[in-house]
Amino acid sequence: MIPFDFEYYRPDSISQAVDLFMSLTRQAKKPMYYGGGTEIISMARANNIYTGGVIDIKGIPECNKFGYEGTDLVIGAATTLTKISDSNLFPMLGITVARIADHTIQGKITLGGNITGTIMYREASLPLLIADCRLSIAGPGGTREALLSQVFDRRIRLEEGEFITHFIIDSHITSLPFFHRKATKIDKIDYPLITVVALKKDNRILVGFSGLCDFPFRSLEMEDSLNQPGISKKDRIQNAMAYIPAPIVEDIHGSAMYRRFVLENILSDALEL
Amino acid sequence: MKIVGKTVPRKEGLDKVTGAAKYNDDIREPVAIVVADTEYQAQQAAYLINVEYEPLPVVRTPSQAIEEGAPLIHENLGHYGKEIDDVYPVPGTNIADHTKIRKGNMDKGWEESDVVVEGEYFMPKSDHIAMETRNVRVKIDPTGKVRVYSSTQSPHAIKAELALAFNLDEGDIIVTAPLVGGGFGGKAPVNLEFIAYIASRAVGGRLVRLANTREEDIATSPTKIGIEAKIKLGATKDGILKAAELRYLVDAGAYSDTAPRMAKTMASNGTGPYNIENVWCDSICLYTNNTYSTSFRGFGNIAHTFCMERTLDKLAKALNMSPFELRLKNAIGPGHTSATQVKITRSSVGDLEKCLHRLNELIDMERSLRVEEAKDKIIAKGMSCFWKTSASNTDAISGAILTFNKDGSINLICGVMEIGSGVKTGLAQILAERMNMEVDKIHVQMEVNTESSPKHWKTVASMSTFMAGRAVLAAADDAIRQLKDIGAMVMRVDPSQLEVGGQKVYMKSDPDNYVQFKDIVHGFKHQGGGNAVGGQIIGKGTYIMENLTILDLDTGKGRMGPAWTVGVQAVEVEYNTKEHTYKLLKAATVLDAGRVINPQAAKGVVMGGMSMGLSLGSREAFIYGRDGGILNSSLRTYKVMRFGEHPDYLVEFIETPAQNGPYGARGFGEHGILGMPAALANALSRATGLELDQVPINPELIWKMKTEALS
Repeated sequence: MIPFDFEYYRPDSISQAVDLFMSLTRQAKKPMYYGGGTEIISMARANNIYTGGVIDIKGIPECNKFGYEGTDLVIGAATTLTKISDSNLFPMLGITVARIADHTIQGKITLGGNITGTIMYREASLPLLIADCRLSIAGPGGTREALLSQVFDRRIRLEEGEFITHFIIDSHITSLPFFHRKATKIDKIDYPLITVVALKKDNRILVGFSGLCDFPFRSLEMEDSLNQPGISKKDRIQNAMAYIPAPIVEDIHGSAMYRRFVLENILSDALEL
Repeated sequence: MKIVGKTVPRKEGLDKVTGAAKYNDDIREPVAIVVADTEYQAQQAAYLINVEYEPLPVVRTPSQAIEEGAPLIHENLGHYGKEIDDVYPVPGTNIADHTKIRKGNMDKGWEESDVVVEGEYFMPKSDHIAMETRNVRVKIDPTGKVRVYSSTQSPHAIKAELALAFNLDEGDIIVTAPLVGGGFGGKAPVNLEFIAYIASRAVGGRLVRLANTREEDIATSPTKIGIEAKIKLGATKDGILKAAELRYLVDAGAYSDTAPRMAKTMASNGTGPYNIENVWCDSICLYTNNTYSTSFRGFGNIAHTFCMERTLDKLAKALNMSPFELRLKNAIGPGHTSATQVKITRSSVGDLEKCLHRLNELIDMERSLRVEEAKDKIIAKGMSCFWKTSASNTDAISGAILTFNKDGSINLICGVMEIGSGVKTGLAQILAERMNMEVDKIHVQMEVNTESSPKHWKTVASMSTFMAGRAVLAAADDAIRQLKDIGAMVMRVDPSQLEVGGQKVYMKSDPDNYVQFKDIVHGFKHQGGGNAVGGQIIGKGTYIMENLTILDLDTGKGRMGPAWTVGVQAVEVEYNTKEHTYKLLKAATVLDAGRVINPQAAKGVVMGGMSMGLSLGSREAFIYGRDGGILNSSLRTYKVMRFGEHPDYLVEFIETPAQNGPYGARGFGEHGILGMPAALANALSRATGLELDQVPINPELIWKMKTEALS
C-alpha cells in the first residue's frame, strides 16, 4: 500500500507533459515522470520516496516509437523490456533486458524507467553506452538531442523537468558481434553480482559494467587496456582492473574480492569475442 | 493519542505478548501499534511515531550467548511463570534449556573405535516464506466474546494462550481459521493475535485487522532456528559405529517459544537412524538478540541430520568405504535402542535398509560418486538418511465428529488445519475406507472453528494424519455402531448380523436386504402413521498420544513420539571447477510411509519438502548487519528456489506399517526436507574436495574456501 495520496496524469503530448510538470512543481507537489511504475510503486510502498503527482508518459507518441527511421533504430522511452526482447530488433539490448528483474516485471519496466531509475544496476544502460546511443530529451526549454555519454555520468543527469522521449541507435551497431554475461550470487533471477556487456566494433572491444561499482559505467581506460595489442589476455585483464573507477561493491550479494574473481572470469570469456 | 500498553496487564514470562524491544536487536520489532479506520491512515500515523533506542551490547550467536560474562538477554530468567513443563532455564545465564543424553559408556565406545572423526557445523536462521503472510482479525462483541479470525496452524492454542495472557475465559474466545496459505511451522505460534486483541480492546472491540507485509513477515515474525554444532564419531575399522558425542547450540532468539523443544528433539534424535550404543549429547538452547525462533518444517531434525550426515561422510572417507555401505551397516532396526533408550521395533521405526536399497536403484550410491565429465565440469553425488518422530506434548489430543446429511452423505469435522498438505483429503479417504463408501460422499469441513470443531492440538509435527486419522477411525466405528443399532431395529435382526457399506446397512447373510443411510441417519420414519425412531446419528472419536514421556533430566531417557518415519535421500550436482558454480541435476527420496493413503498427494508433499531443503542448502539465510537487524527482509534479496532451478525429483515409498497408525500410516508431511541440505553438502563436498560444513552453499563460499585452501 502507498500511504500517501498523489495525482495521476496521462498527457497525450510532450508539451502537455512538460506543462504539467511545471504546474505541479509550482504547487510544490514534487512531480515525477512515470513509465512502468515498478520503481515508483515499490519505493513509495517502502516510504522511500514521496510525490504529489505522477505524469505517465506512456500516452505520448514519441515515447512509444519502436522501429527504424532511416538508418536509425528508434526506441521510445516507454517501450517495455518485454517488447524489446521479444522483437529482437537489437539483440544485445534484448538479451540484456531479458535478464532484468523477472519475466512478469519485464512487461512493466520501460527502457526509460530502467535507465533513469535509482536502483544502482540500471543494466539496460550498458548496451546503450557501448552503442554510442543518442537520446531525444524533452523539457521546459524544448526538445534536444544528446549523446548518452554526454548526459550519463554514473546516472542520467537531466535538467529539472526534462525527460527522455526516445533512444536513437545507429542501426549497423545492431548486427555487430556482442557478449552478455550476468553473474548472480546463485539465483537466475536476482540483482547482478556483475553484468558485463561487450561489443566488437572496428576490431575493438567495447565494454559496459553493472554491479561492479555502485553505478553502471563504461570506462575508456579499461577498454584501452583490454584492447592493448601485444600482451597476454591475462595481463590485459589485470591492467584493466587497475582502472575500475570506484571501489568495488561489497554487500549481501558478494564481497569485493569475489566480485573481482567473477569479473576476471567474465572478462576472459568476453575477450574471446 | 491514547497509550494503551500500560493498561494491558502482562504476565511474567510472556514477554512476546506485548513486545520487549530491549530483547531484540531488530529495529523493526513491534514497539507501538496504531489503530485507524483505514490502512493508509494507520500507516501515516505510524510514520509520525519517533522511537529513540539506546544501543545495548548485542548477543548475535549462540556461541557468544554461552560465553562467560556474555550480556544477559533476560535478567529475570528463572523468575518467569512456567509455560512449558519440561523446560529448565538457568538463571544468571542465557541458557533457556539444556538437554542431556547419556547412553552407554563413552570410554568403552572410544576404546572400541579404530577411527574417530570430528566436525563443526553451522546452519543459519532463515524464514518460512509461506505464500500467505501472517494475518489476523479480532473483534470483541458487546457480550465480551472475543472473535479471532486467523491464518494459523493452531486455532485451539490461540484460544488457550489468549485466555492465559489476558485472564479471559477460554469459552469467551472463538477462533475461526480458514484454509491456510502455507505455514511450514511459522503459523504454529501465537504471534499477531496478541497484538490484534490489544488493538481491538483499545477501540471498544471494533474489528481490527493486522496483516503482515512480506517485509514485516520476514523481519519481525518468528523464524527458523539457527544452530552451531560439534560432532565426534567413533567406529571400528569395519565401519560399525561405536560412539557419538554431539553438542548442539541452538539459537532461540529473544524469546524461547518452541526452540527448547527443538533442542530436545535434536538431542533425542541426534544420532539419526543409526544404531549407536554409546551416546553423549548436550543440546543447549540459548537466548540471543535475534528475532525469536519457532517451529519450522522438520522441527530441528534438519539440523542434527546435517551435522550427523556430514560427519558420516567424513567417516566413510577415513574408512575408505562407500557412504552407502557405511549407512547400511549401521541402519537402525528391531532390537536396537534409540539415544533416549527407547526399544526399537519394526513397527516403531519402519525399514531403513529397504529404503537404502531402493534408493540405490534410483541413484547408484556405490559407484561413480564423482566423475570428471568434461573440462571444468564434475558430476558428483551425495546422500543422507533421515528420521523423525513427533515431539508433541505427552497429552496432545485430537478429535473428530461425523454428522450426516439427509441424503446419507457425511460431514467430517475436526480441528486439523489444511495448510497445503492435503491432510483433510487423506482423512476423508480414511473415513471412506472404514465406512466402505465413496469418498465423494464425504464432505470435509475446511474451516475450523474452536466453538464447534473438536480440539486438535496443533497442525504440526507431521502428526495430523496419524492423530486425527485415529480419531476419525474411532468416530467411524462409533457411527457404524449406531447405524447398525437402528438398522437392527428396522430390519428386526441383531446388530451383529449387519454390515455397513455403500451408504447402506445390510444383512451379512443377504446383502440385498438393506436399509439406506438416507432413510435412517436422521431417524427412521415408519410407513403409514409416521412414527419415527432412532434420531440423528452423530459419530464421535478422540485420540490422545499414548505412552509418551518427558525426557529424564540426567540421562535423556524417555519416549518423545509414537513412531519414527525413516528414509534416505540423494542429490546429484554438476560443478563448474572454474567458476565454482553448480547445477542441481537430480534429487531422490525413498521414505517408509507405513501406508500411503493418497499417492499423488504424498509424492507432492515430499517433493515440496525436497525443494525447500535444497533451497535451505543453497541460498536461504538471514544476513545480519552490524546494527539494525536483518539485511535481506524482502523477496528481492531473500531468495527461494524458483522454477527452472529445480532438479529432476524422484520420490518412492516403502510401506512397513506402523501398528498404531491409521491403516499403518506414518507421518511424513515434513520429512522431504530433512536430508536435503546434508545430501547437497555431501555432493558438493565430494565435487569440490572441500569440507562444506555450513549452509547455504553458494559459489562465493566455495570460491572462498578454495582460495583459503590454496594460500
